[in-house]
Amino acid sequence: MNRRDFLKAVVKSFFLLLGLSLFLPVLYIYPYRIKKKTVELFPVLDEDELPRSGVKRINLSYERGGRKINTRAFIVMSRTGLTALSPVCSHLGCLVNWDSNKREFLCPCHGGRYNMDGDVIAGPPPRPLTRLPIVIREGKVYIGMRI
Amino acid sequence: MGKIFDWIDSRFGVKEPHRRFLQRSLPPGVNYSYCLGGAAFTLFAISAVTGILLSIYYVPSETEAYMSIIRINEDVRLGWLVRSTHKWSANLLIVFIILHALRVFVSGAYRPPRELNWIVGVFTLISAMASGFTGYLLPWDQKAYWATVVGTSMAATVPFIGERLLYLLRGGPEVDGTTLIRFYSAHVLILPIMMSIILWAHFHMVKKQGISGGM
Repeated sequence: MNRRDFLKAVVKSFFLLLGLSLFLPVLYIYPYRIKKKTVELFPVLDEDELPRSGVKRINLSYERGGRKINTRAFIVMSRTGLTALSPVCSHLGCLVNWDSNKREFLCPCHGGRYNMDGDVIAGPPPRPLTRLPIVIREGKVYIGMRI
Repeated sequence: MGKIFDWIDSRFGVKEPHRRFLQRSLPPGVNYSYCLGGAAFTLFAISAVTGILLSIYYVPSETEAYMSIIRINEDVRLGWLVRSTHKWSANLLIVFIILHALRVFVSGAYRPPRELNWIVGVFTLISAMASGFTGYLLPWDQKAYWATVVGTSMAATVPFIGERLLYLLRGGPEVDGTTLIRFYSAHVLILPIMMSIILWAHFHMVKKQGISGGM
């Protein structure tokens, strides 16, 4: 290899390295810590406040990283029994509302519809609403939220 | 032109190449629809100027963002005008890019040797849409928040890397203050710089290849 070829190779490899280093910003931008979500039990109701039939909306707030976060959940008593449902639409993550006239959960974003048990009736959602753990202990109702 | 301008230009030399560009003859068949791209560029320039003005009062923080927007609208002198102008020029920018693309398509101006300029034009549209998407979060109100929840959730549907892509966009599993700051950075630095480079390439090719003849 003569000097000219050697220098050409040096310059080429320099640009190759420069090109490869373009992925470094992606590493930099990617979050350095992703907090694992854990299921936590929240006391939400007394046992005698449970709905006999129908849907009860529960408002919850908790503190995380110094911020107050408000969220909600639904407690459902239907023919199939007692369940707790997450309000997060399985389509793109909007919060659904219970429409007591139509007796359906409606998603305000793209018109997803779920029945009382959280199963999809219509619209784009690919999965039913997530069922949350529900525990009754010493007269108190707890639901488990992934936070 | 004036003495001062001539003094500068005899050293800087910007008049002659621009005279060649601005006073060249156009091919027959050119009409006002050939101004749509120029209109889009004007709107981009307006967005840039009003955006720089907004950055003086806007605070990209979870606790301050919304209130700073209210202050711009209600307290800052002409703040409402600057913010509305930014909003409307941004919306119209997308409209005019699409109209311009339609004109190029209909008149067949994407044909060789101008294919690369069509591709570069597609990148302008993508950058403009990305600017729109990131800018939409900045008011940090309910509409902004949920639009971003929905918009970023779409990234999660990409096979295999969806979740990682989502974390990359949001800066974590949820849309929160981290998301706001990275969207702000993209909106005021990354995307405008990208857009400027892309537009330079776009205009460079227009200058080199000339305007294609009418239909």
